[in-house]
Amino acid sequence: MRRLGRAVAVGVRRSLPMAMAMAIGALMLIDFFFDERHINALGGFFLESAVIVVAFALLLGLLNVLVVHLRRIIKREGGWFYSIALLAMALMVMVAGIPGPDNSAVVWIFDYIQFPLQAATFSLLAFFVATAAYRGLRLRSLEAVAFVLTAVVVLIGQVPVGRVLGDVVPALKDWILNVPSTAGVRGIIIGVALGTIATGVRVLMGFDRPYGGEGGGTQ
Amino acid sequence: MGFLAEILGNLGIGQQHALMFALLLPFFPLLLLLNRRIRERGNPPLRPIPAYEDLEAYLGEATESGRTVHVSMGTGGIGTGVTAESLAGLTVLEHIAGHSAATGLKTVATVSDPSLLPVAQDVMREACAAQGYPEAYDPECVRFVSSDKVAYAAGVMDILGHDKVSCNVMIGNFSDEFLLMSEVGARNAVNQVGGTTSPQILPFVYASTDHALIGEEIFAAGAYLLGKTAHVASLAAQDWLRTAIILTILIGILVRSLA
Repeated sequence: MRRLGRAVAVGVRRSLPMAMAMAIGALMLIDFFFDERHINALGGFFLESAVIVVAFALLLGLLNVLVVHLRRIIKREGGWFYSIALLAMALMVMVAGIPGPDNSAVVWIFDYIQFPLQAATFSLLAFFVATAAYRGLRLRSLEAVAFVLTAVVVLIGQVPVGRVLGDVVPALKDWILNVPSTAGVRGIIIGVALGTIATGVRVLMGFDRPYGGEGGGTQ
Repeated sequence: MGFLAEILGNLGIGQQHALMFALLLPFFPLLLLLNRRIRERGNPPLRPIPAYEDLEAYLGEATESGRTVHVSMGTGGIGTGVTAESLAGLTVLEHIAGHSAATGLKTVATVSDPSLLPVAQDVMREACAAQGYPEAYDPECVRFVSSDKVAYAAGVMDILGHDKVSCNVMIGNFSDEFLLMSEVGARNAVNQVGGTTSPQILPFVYASTDHALIGEEIFAAGAYLLGKTAHVASLAAQDWLRTAIILTILIGILVRSLA
């Protein structure tokens, strides 16, 4: 009897999340396609609930950051002093934010520390694009040769020198951007749309259980 | 046609929604049918995708050298507009976690969206439990870095630059920050596999990684790495619908040209 009870409990633990995901997924789909007052209200309720769940997930994320960096400090792993700086800053922002997100201390931290640091990190992108372009433009295969030739034509066609050379290069540049490039991008977009739909349909039909719980993962 | 449009209008479905509905609806019977057919007749041959083939070699190399594998599932999360991309990243993580649990390979997964954190932790935990070593699960192997994209990139750059990383897998939704991370990997001679769906970011992926998964190829991970019947069936369903779309476009061109 106890074995039967345990089997039922395991079955419920495995099937319940899947059944709930399928039911709520189907409801959200109906909410998206059909304009029905009650279903729209229910869909809105589930969307709001998702926002609340994500807010709790953010707390989990904060806990994860604390655990990872505290462990690094305790074990004196490489760069442990940076972990102290990170935890100190996290604590400082949290304390400063107690009166509210509009508190002048929080605004100051974001304006004079967070945003300049973000801008500095992002400015590295210009140099990284140059090194990536160098790596990408190496003639390692027939594909790379086509890549280099196209890049050269588009680059020359974009700059004023291209006009000096005649109308052929700018016209070729326009053709590359309007015909093969646009066709390729559209092909990628159609493929991605089909892949996205397939992923959703697999979850809706219960083939995939990627949301955890016992026996989670894909079937 | 007008009659159909009136019915759809009464149901509250606009023209654009009707098109989406028409694209979605055939997936259900097609997936069921193809899933059953593949179960009976076995998997059809899949065209080789070098990124998935070489991933096995990279994992083997990392295991032998005792170095780490880093997995990023992008900056998207679950419940957002890019959930499918994040799930594709999770599928790859599932495969790497299985390999990691079986061989003792150290895997570090980083997330930017907190909604992915418990799911990724669950994938790693399940992989250890499936091998019979639930105690081998280390909660620190999945790290939430930051919900800010630049801060996330900075955190991953630190991992790729200072931890002993042998293989870097970045599959999911990314924007420009992809290059910040992959370039650090490339400079440190890390074996890299990257994949995303955004056409604007794909040149960065192509230029800075050893193998690029272009667009929908990231959704094929389940079929190629895990060999799941449902995933192979969904690949076949995608091919059928792609053919239908191509035929529709061609017929449209002909009708327009002849009219």
